[in-house]
Amino acid sequence: MSSLAILGAFLSLAVLTLFPAVMVISTRNILHAGFWLLPTLIGVAGLYAMLDAHFFVVAQVLIYIGAILVLILFALMLTRDVMNPRAPQHNGLLTAAVPICASLAALSAVLLARHPWPAGRPPEAAGAHDQTVALGRALIGTYALPFEAASVLLLAALVGAIVLAKAPQTEPPSAERTDCSGGEK
Amino acid sequence: MTVGLSHYLILSAALFGLGALAAITRRNAVAVLMGVELMLNAANLNFLAFWRYLTPQGMEAQVFVIIGFTVAAAEAALGLAVVLSLYRDFGTLNVDEASGLKG
Repeated sequence: MSSLAILGAFLSLAVLTLFPAVMVISTRNILHAGFWLLPTLIGVAGLYAMLDAHFFVVAQVLIYIGAILVLILFALMLTRDVMNPRAPQHNGLLTAAVPICASLAALSAVLLARHPWPAGRPPEAAGAHDQTVALGRALIGTYALPFEAASVLLLAALVGAIVLAKAPQTEPPSAERTDCSGGEK
Repeated sequence: MTVGLSHYLILSAALFGLGALAAITRRNAVAVLMGVELMLNAANLNFLAFWRYLTPQGMEAQVFVIIGFTVAAAEAALGLAVVLSLYRDFGTLNVDEASGLKG
């Protein structure tokens, strides 16, 4: 592929990633904000494809779009009637946070652009098959301990999520708990 | 003009800034979670860009991205459990109103 085509693909993926991210912040309807997250995640998956990270394209679609985004949409739909869509959707920090976040992004962008990174395209990456085989071998070989630590973290988080989300029925009903315990007079 | 490492880094800096903006300014707790997800995506994009351009033979960046995915999944599950109990106990999802720990 010519370098111009690669640049065009990169720029369209950048727009596909950044414009929906702006909409996630600015849209009033919170459910629409959740749906705007979808093109951002797809754009990031496309950028992974441009970086030849084949495994992570699939993982991004499966985990971020298939699991995390669906979980977020579930939470939005379960709680949609809580917030009045005509009430302000941003807190009083908006006027201060916009210049701060913009200057944070601009400053890091300037610093990263000025650093003398090795220019040009690196040598060809391995094919999808070889790359995934090497990653799998690394995960059960050299990096088995970080991988297991990540699994334990996920297990602990999921158990904690179940405990947190469970209704407090086992506690003795006290005066301020009676409205939550359901049905007991 | 070719697409270099700095292009990806600038893009992910912009994505991180937008995620931080969402996490700071949104009033809905689930929208704050979405901002955190955007920031995690920017971090993962940085890891993979550095891997591709600087250490294409190494495995460290990919292992970090796998841990990043795990942390994002754990954060989403725990965050939504917190959101549901916030809804149950306070009847609101507005993070400004859930100020029980404010001094």
